[in-house]
Amino acid sequence: MSRLIVLLFLLISAVSQAETRQVRIVHFNDFHGFAQAHRPLGAQEELGGVAWLAARVRQLRQEVPSLFLAAGDMIQGDNWANLFKGESVVRLLNQMGLDAMVLGNHEFDFGQEVLRQRIQEARFQVLGANLEGLQGVLPHLVKEVGGIKVGIVGILGADTPVTTHPRNVSGLGFLDPAQTLLAQARELSPKVDLLVALTHCGYGVDRELASRVPQVQVIVGGHSHTRLDRPALVGNTIILQAWEHGKALGILDLWLEDRKITRWEGRLEEIRPSAGKPDQEVQELVEHYSNKLKEILGQVIGHSLVDLDGEKVRTQETNLGNLVADVLREVAGAQVAIINAGSIRKSIPKGPISMEQVYGALPFDNYVVGLPLRGSQLWEALEHGVSGKGGGRFPQVSGLRISYAASAPQGSRLRGVLVNGRPLDPEATYLVATNDFLAAGGDGYKGFPRALGEYQQAGGALYGKSFLYSDPGRWVRDILVEHIRKATPIFASVQGRIQELEER
Amino acid sequence: MRVYVDGRPVEILPGMKVRHVLIQLGLCVEGPEEPPLVRDQWGNLLGMDGTLQEGALLFLDHKEKKEGP
Repeated sequence: MSRLIVLLFLLISAVSQAETRQVRIVHFNDFHGFAQAHRPLGAQEELGGVAWLAARVRQLRQEVPSLFLAAGDMIQGDNWANLFKGESVVRLLNQMGLDAMVLGNHEFDFGQEVLRQRIQEARFQVLGANLEGLQGVLPHLVKEVGGIKVGIVGILGADTPVTTHPRNVSGLGFLDPAQTLLAQARELSPKVDLLVALTHCGYGVDRELASRVPQVQVIVGGHSHTRLDRPALVGNTIILQAWEHGKALGILDLWLEDRKITRWEGRLEEIRPSAGKPDQEVQELVEHYSNKLKEILGQVIGHSLVDLDGEKVRTQETNLGNLVADVLREVAGAQVAIINAGSIRKSIPKGPISMEQVYGALPFDNYVVGLPLRGSQLWEALEHGVSGKGGGRFPQVSGLRISYAASAPQGSRLRGVLVNGRPLDPEATYLVATNDFLAAGGDGYKGFPRALGEYQQAGGALYGKSFLYSDPGRWVRDILVEHIRKATPIFASVQGRIQELEER
Repeated sequence: MRVYVDGRPVEILPGMKVRHVLIQLGLCVEGPEEPPLVRDQWGNLLGMDGTLQEGALLFLDHKEKKEGP
């Protein structure tokens, strides 16, 4: 009898042990094509470097049955990604054996045709349950890992249509994230052992999703670039996010018994090239595209008939300042454009123009913004600009002729403003193109965010029409490259747009 | 849209990021000086390119800036 009891005990123990299974989720988000290790502002050493990240992923996946997930905004951002419209990143993710990725808002930045091409190239599943109309995107993926059936639902951020240019999402439908996730959870929960939401909504929204859809056991998130050193817990839902730019890798180990998580451990690991060896194959791929990048940057994209002056931009109107301001005005469909001299860093000499020269002249990741300003606000912005002669805030303009007295007291230097040949009307509203740096109030241009605030508080429309323009997925330097390709040979001149008066 | 930094309202366009908030506050995001660390209302560190939600509560953390992430 006692032998029978011992046997029964051993049998029960064996069965219960067999039911506890482990799965590991390895994840990153908001990579933005930062393939090379780099020293972020404020960091003491280089972080990131996708070849080192890949080596760590490989190690982690060898230890435990794993899923490797990407939570969006992977293919746009750094030149390493942008100059190949994300192809380099998709090849990288293929090489790394990614299982699934949710679309982030910046995945749309190169347009739908390019995105469809990238999806075709992907050997991983691209997810987006609340997206309608894009071929190749599935709502969810069910994958068996280490004997555990995992359901992964992709959820895009509700702000996707307003955080890329509208043309990039034209004709697509975006459904409510929480309602979609709830519907998906109801469908999938009975069929899987573990339900994961792969989201690009931001950490705050992920917390709301966890409250509203408690069936979801794990949320792997992105968008807010949140560094969750330890997973957060909302109800029984574990929330993860792994910072940005491949500087960290998220790891979550789960033990499941009868479809319930009985134990979990999660952490972020910083990726430091100084602390390990790179994955050789991924490193070769990174170098392959880095070499191609150098070739592309060196290629001639056009020809300039004159020297384009990027050196005197802080003290006077220059032809390069005019060229850049004109391009911004045209792209935004604005009446006028103002940019800061500090956004232009180098001249482009007469003769053949390479992309590298344009990138050297406009090195910052600025994008075009168009916003409505009253005439009085436009005057105030220009006054602020000319009062900063010699500094980065000095303006370069388009659609405007301004005169100022440099010797007059600061704040009262502006003498006259003509908008497309007519005197500025302080009460009229003008659509002004600028870059995102000035639109955010950079270089002390406080009037821009103030005008933006008034406009948004008024309901985001003037005279029944929305005047805002924002294209956060295309850098000004790339727009100038496109312009030079189309308009070559380039001729730009100083036209008396900014006149300094000699007053005593 | 509006976010709050240490309780102070800051107006930004949808799609603008943490760095745009720092730009508006006149805090360094380019150049040799280190910008302050930015945390969300739960105390988590945010990347400079983190997208913000309407009404987000942000907090500047100057104390740890020398240590860096």
